[in-house]
Amino acid sequence: MQTAITPTTAFSTVQAKAPFEFKSAAHLLFIERERASSIDELLRALQSCPEESIFQHTFRTLEEHHFIKEGFSNDFAHWAYTELGEVGLGERLASLDVREFTSLAALRERLVQVVEEFASEHPKSRERTAPMPFYFCSSKTIVLQTQRHAANLLEFIDGLRQVSLHSIHYHFIEARLRRKLESNDFSIWLLRDLGLERESVLLNHIDIYTSTLEGVRRKIIQILQNAVH
Amino acid sequence: MQDLGRPTAPQPDSSSPAAEASVRNAQTQAGTPAPARERRKPRISETPPAAPPAPRLADYESIIGKSQLDELRFVASPLRGKRVKMVNSTAVGGGVAEMLNRLVPLLDELEIKTGWEVITGGNDFFEVTKAFHNALHGGEFTLTQQARDVFMLHTEQNRKRMSFDEDLVVIHDPQPAGLISSKAGKSSHWVWRCHIDLSHPNRDVWSFLHPMVEQYDAAVFSSPAFARSLAIPQALFYPCIDPLSEKNKDLDEKYIQEVCDNFGVDRSRPIVTQISRFDRLKDPLGVIKAYKMAKKYVDFQLVLAGGGASDDPEGAVVLKEAQEAAGDDPDVIILELPPWSALEINALQRASTIIVQKSLKEGFGLTVTEALWKAKPTIASAVGGIPTQVIDKHTGLLVHSVEGCAYQIRYLLTHPEFGAQLGRNGREHVKENFLMTTNARRWVMLFRILSSSNA
Repeated sequence: MQTAITPTTAFSTVQAKAPFEFKSAAHLLFIERERASSIDELLRALQSCPEESIFQHTFRTLEEHHFIKEGFSNDFAHWAYTELGEVGLGERLASLDVREFTSLAALRERLVQVVEEFASEHPKSRERTAPMPFYFCSSKTIVLQTQRHAANLLEFIDGLRQVSLHSIHYHFIEARLRRKLESNDFSIWLLRDLGLERESVLLNHIDIYTSTLEGVRRKIIQILQNAVH
Repeated sequence: MQDLGRPTAPQPDSSSPAAEASVRNAQTQAGTPAPARERRKPRISETPPAAPPAPRLADYESIIGKSQLDELRFVASPLRGKRVKMVNSTAVGGGVAEMLNRLVPLLDELEIKTGWEVITGGNDFFEVTKAFHNALHGGEFTLTQQARDVFMLHTEQNRKRMSFDEDLVVIHDPQPAGLISSKAGKSSHWVWRCHIDLSHPNRDVWSFLHPMVEQYDAAVFSSPAFARSLAIPQALFYPCIDPLSEKNKDLDEKYIQEVCDNFGVDRSRPIVTQISRFDRLKDPLGVIKAYKMAKKYVDFQLVLAGGGASDDPEGAVVLKEAQEAAGDDPDVIILELPPWSALEINALQRASTIIVQKSLKEGFGLTVTEALWKAKPTIASAVGGIPTQVIDKHTGLLVHSVEGCAYQIRYLLTHPEFGAQLGRNGREHVKENFLMTTNARRWVMLFRILSSSNA
């Protein structure tokens, strides 16, 4: 956690056009019918599974493994690498950045494309069977009000320090699916309600795949502290 | 603590040629001279201590943080005043009763009025349900009409004895599964919580239970691998540990030292520990082999601690084999502990440099969860639920052989900074996914989802 900041400009207490309302999300996992032990089965399951499964194994897994800062990007990549032994496929799947997708349909399409291309380039890989199948799960989400609001930048920074990592994930990573925009709730509020264009852009440049989620929180706070000073 | 004076391995005479050879081995092969040592007599508690009071919700704030606790309360708030009934087959002993003992007060504190009832039955009933349990794990069993009749007769008696006026009813495991017939005509929601592995069930027994299970509104399994294809939704609830239980709570350094002293464990040297029953599936002999292979390169002590030898004839045989494999090596410390040794096990885990779980077959592997929670570098077999917890090279190290286990012991003992990182990640993984508070949140979420399906 960062040390408390001292406002050196009046700017930090300028009232936003509208307050930021911190929310969070709770998820419950369900076991789906699809499972895969080979590339072909993975492909079929990716095509037929519910969108909630695509969400669970990409967006949600980042939250579940938020403490890992390298080498873990989504469940499909991890399984291809560790269970199927297809390092190349694992690398290609791991290179997908969920933030480039504003819909789960588009993300599913890209996942299918990556697997199809790999299987076609490496036909022998289709013969491999993983000792541990990939079990498709899905998650149901309940959005939570945290009762925490921010009317200015200082209150916003304080809120960022206090809320759970689930809240950070909800606003910073899941938001693009909700908003169908390549941005996040924090950046949108900073730009729209405080006029902080530079900070809004800087937040979108934070690499979520080389930091822990706690590290992401720290980087967001650091960027905003710099704005205050 | 009382000194029972019952060492579980032969007491070596330090002046004997064998003891001298053992010391010589350690000096010449491990590179680090080990002082001549004798096996100490373990001092083991003879009587169970009084059970501590169940923790309050607020007690978890220092562990999961205020924001997460607030979120749990918020998720639960629409359920205030709802009534829940939990039903299982035993009030004491076993993981389900242990979990319910903690979960029920937490749900109550969230103002979800939660009752817990236990089914009754004669010996004939529990013989049948025990046979069902083993058969559902894949064991051989011939399902007779008599067994069906005994199961249905006692189910009916329990059904008549109990009332089911609650909003939500949770039935744990197969023994009380037949109570579902009390759901007829009620608007309540029923959940079947299956704690066992149904991946390869005896076909006859599963065919008998399956129609009952399909009448529930949802089933809950501990792993996707344990589930069956069902027409009802299947939620995934990982097993969990209570961070405030005797087994997992923080301990004073002084107490840890005292336990090590009592058990003859030298804290000035590395300690590699496996906590588990003396059971072939936990492969204690494989752990001793790995110890012997690794000991040629690095100096350390091996602690094998657990129960299961006094109440299980096969456990006694496995314990004896482990003692024989250890021979007169004073650095292999084998401890047969009584069931009330939670604090001592906690202390041993905390004193350990590395924790090993080299099982050949495993359920979820809660001893691994306990090790990860204590931020210990953990080496574990890639079986059962272990890979869900040990993400290889991130939260621990997965192994597939004695040789792999030996190598990773050597590696972690010589790369403590890597071990520390694994330990930190492992603790975070447990905090996020495998704590009692997460379990409470899952139940609350499921209750909300089921309740909203009325609308």
